[in-house]
Amino acid sequence: MNRRHWLRATSAAGIALLTSRWGIAEDRALALSELFPGLADAALDRAKALGASFADVHFMQTDEESIFVRETMVQGIDAQSSAGCSVRVLVDGCWGFAASAVINREEILRLTEQAAILAKGQTGWRLRRLEIETLPAHTGKWEMPLEIDPFTISLEDKTADLLTITQTALGKGANFCDAHLFQVRERKWLANSFGTRVQQSRVRLQPAFSVTVLDPKKGGFASRASLLPPRAAGYEHMQNWDAAAESALAVEQARQKLTAPSVTPGKLDLVIAPSNLWLTIHETVGHPTELDRALGYEANFAGTSFCTPDKLDRLRYGSELVTIMGDRTAPGGLASVAWDDDGTATAGKEFPIIERGIFRNFQMALGQAALIGRKESNGCAYADSFDSFPIQRMPNISLQPGPDPAATAASLISGVEDGIYIEGNGSWSIDQQRYNFQFTGQVFHRIRNGKLDGMLRDVAYQGNSVDFWNACDGLGGAATYELGGAFNCGKGQPGQIAAVSHGAVPARFRKINVLNTANESGQKTACFPTHSRDCCCGEARTSWT
Amino acid sequence: MDLNPNTAQLQSLCAQILDLVEADEAEVSIHDATDLHLRHANNDLTSNSLTSRRLLSLSVSYGLRSASISFQETDPASLREAVTKAQTMAKLAPENPEHMPPVRPAQFADPLAYSETTAAAGPEDALRWVRPVIEAARAAGLESAGYLQKSLATHTLANSSGLFVSQPQSSVGFSMTARTRDGGSGWASTQVTDAAKLDLTPVGERAIRKAQDSRNPTERAPGRTTVLLEPAAVRDLISPLIWSLDRRDFDEGRSFLNALVENGKDPIGHDLFGSANLISDPLFAPAPCFTHSGGEPLTRTEWIKDGVLQHLVTGRFWAKAKGLASQPMPGNFLIPGDGLSTEELIGKIKDGVLVTRLWYLRMVRPESLLYTGLTRDGTFAIRDGEIAGPVKNFRFNESPANVLKQLVASGTPERVLGSESDIPAHVPPLVVDGFHLSSVSDAS
Repeated sequence: MNRRHWLRATSAAGIALLTSRWGIAEDRALALSELFPGLADAALDRAKALGASFADVHFMQTDEESIFVRETMVQGIDAQSSAGCSVRVLVDGCWGFAASAVINREEILRLTEQAAILAKGQTGWRLRRLEIETLPAHTGKWEMPLEIDPFTISLEDKTADLLTITQTALGKGANFCDAHLFQVRERKWLANSFGTRVQQSRVRLQPAFSVTVLDPKKGGFASRASLLPPRAAGYEHMQNWDAAAESALAVEQARQKLTAPSVTPGKLDLVIAPSNLWLTIHETVGHPTELDRALGYEANFAGTSFCTPDKLDRLRYGSELVTIMGDRTAPGGLASVAWDDDGTATAGKEFPIIERGIFRNFQMALGQAALIGRKESNGCAYADSFDSFPIQRMPNISLQPGPDPAATAASLISGVEDGIYIEGNGSWSIDQQRYNFQFTGQVFHRIRNGKLDGMLRDVAYQGNSVDFWNACDGLGGAATYELGGAFNCGKGQPGQIAAVSHGAVPARFRKINVLNTANESGQKTACFPTHSRDCCCGEARTSWT
Repeated sequence: MDLNPNTAQLQSLCAQILDLVEADEAEVSIHDATDLHLRHANNDLTSNSLTSRRLLSLSVSYGLRSASISFQETDPASLREAVTKAQTMAKLAPENPEHMPPVRPAQFADPLAYSETTAAAGPEDALRWVRPVIEAARAAGLESAGYLQKSLATHTLANSSGLFVSQPQSSVGFSMTARTRDGGSGWASTQVTDAAKLDLTPVGERAIRKAQDSRNPTERAPGRTTVLLEPAAVRDLISPLIWSLDRRDFDEGRSFLNALVENGKDPIGHDLFGSANLISDPLFAPAPCFTHSGGEPLTRTEWIKDGVLQHLVTGRFWAKAKGLASQPMPGNFLIPGDGLSTEELIGKIKDGVLVTRLWYLRMVRPESLLYTGLTRDGTFAIRDGEIAGPVKNFRFNESPANVLKQLVASGTPERVLGSESDIPAHVPPLVVDGFHLSSVSDAS
């Protein structure tokens, strides 16, 4: 069905109904806003009576909508809403936490009691008391600025936009094409015993597609996923994307992959576009500099880190060119909020993680700063659901532009004799202390004598995080800065998902180990990386970054 | 809202919702879950929680137009709103030529996946289970980090064709990493349906012993090597193979199976996986699961028998289009073993590597089902039938299809946790020849 047929099939009355159906969510948010002060006070009072030296109360409401299109078919339209409350208490230096989807006075008092039972159950056999810093009290309300609220856009328009992508791809010769749109509104209310009472809401949007082309002669297939990152933004993010043009380009590039020469492995110079580099930043800088990980809190699952507190201000993490900042305030940033989930205000908390190549700071949540001699949290706590304990999660972490404002991907490529220019993220993996990584991509352009010279296939780059950033000898200027990111960064037990952005400029790295993935398979015949069920586009089954 | 309803209450709630629906077809699912989590690190509990939630999903269809919504509230007004929303969305949805009507009522075996003992256990019990394991790590002078999850869930499904099925599930899982201060790291896990069978002591002892034994690792050259994959590594490698045994992907030419058979041939009946056996069985007592998937009965299925592929997952639409029987995705998986102990398997290896656990597995190349990932928390060289000492961890690039094809021996199956999925698995340690260790990792 094309857009015209789709429009014919719908009625104006139906559209009006549909766009207003999220009004129910608005009504629910208003009701929660009214309930929150009284229930929060009741829980905090009960927590104090139970001996808590600190307590906080969270309400969270999440509204989501996803649309999935395959070829000419709309295969899924789904709307999800959830809400609930939690109480966290610190009693005798021990945490307890309880949460429920039921929100009323009786339930929140029950949760407070349960949380206290969990905390007190550790009394007498704990080695160390948890100590937390006193945070300033904040009151207020913040709503992420939006141009076009995606929850006010009709399903017909969104579906038509997705079908335009798939039909363009099919028209250009793709054998398969799927596209999806995922939108989330997250509302949070927080009160704590320091006196904080805040409320905030934000929206994020993830449009994406993947095309696949079969090789009718030799068998096999090649795929190419879209390069547009998700964004903390309204529907303008979708509207500003020339998705049809990218869809057509993706088909052409997938077709080129079918006949491209297989890469010769070895040490090669790489120029990496922001559409690929954001994920490398995430894995090789973002996760290693999480303080809870460095302190061993994640040892049983996500792992620890090579980047330990003794390396602060000493480790040469990258070349002089490399400055990487953490923030929760960048416009469009998927981790941007006004207050983190401990109640720390994020404005003015931007911090260097790597400054001119030197490791400068960790990401921190409540109760962690003093462990490395710092004064207070830098605002990196987050809980992904009403029933999740707030833990340290990644802020937006971004590679800053280089000193030459005129530098571009093309100028970086001009300085490479034999190398590869990589666009788009593909497969990713890194060890549990964040030394050894391996990444693929979507598109690999061969560089010869300073110019692009056709495509390559079967490319993966592998290396050590610190060696990699020290091999950086060129960065694009501010005009080349782009914000990448993902909805699905995973951490914690039970697992929590967080959305996070990473700004980057094109960057050049010398003598990086490039593998041939066909050789790694033990097969010399043509095969191709593809957009898989594991990739970062939101179709993931088990995926986290 | 009652988060621990009985079957009659659930049946009544489903009927209430379905009665409100005016659309041609409807399906309701209700997922109730209560969980207890105890997490520890550096030999102290860190974040602990008790949580409960309910999620209802309603899908409705008018002809080939359909939509679904998920919600929480079950008061009459909220149910009416939910039904109205879903119907409004469905009327506006384009026709989906692949839409299938709700599944017909069927007989489902009573599941084995629930235990009253587990249901009755509270936070005091969980604290009592975990405390001695942490104290043992302290006594051994090691740092331990671990996670205990007690889960209770009831999944209910009803539709306008008259199907109603409600099944409870319970489990307690525990994993622990013990670390020495000089780089040794060991991991072990267990998972049970019935908390009465929970014994964390051997889990803690195993993690501690592995940590102590893995101090001061030497570097061994990467390359194609004989490996002894312990059960946790096996389950993480084999789960993605199961997800990839898909009929439609093969028929469309975009499966790893397309490269394994001649063009035009069907992979079923082909000897593609050496001597391996891969089974799913919802009533397998040591690792049971629900006995249906989306209302289709799950029964014991031999996916791979003596290396020969027997079945592919086949969705209902694709089955109808191709004149095949549908075959739902399994809810668990089992690999029978030869009954040998890990020590006996080690004794059969002249030169190889023992792998405790894998980490960060990701697809690299779907056409050959190439996955990458890393070893962690206990990697040891084997020489002349004995453990020769700890070695540094490796990155691997290998296909789970090759793992089964190059399988040369297996041990005694057990139920363990993995790092990538929650599907119950009962698998043995496997000895695999020619496993591709791609590079060395400095992680310890």
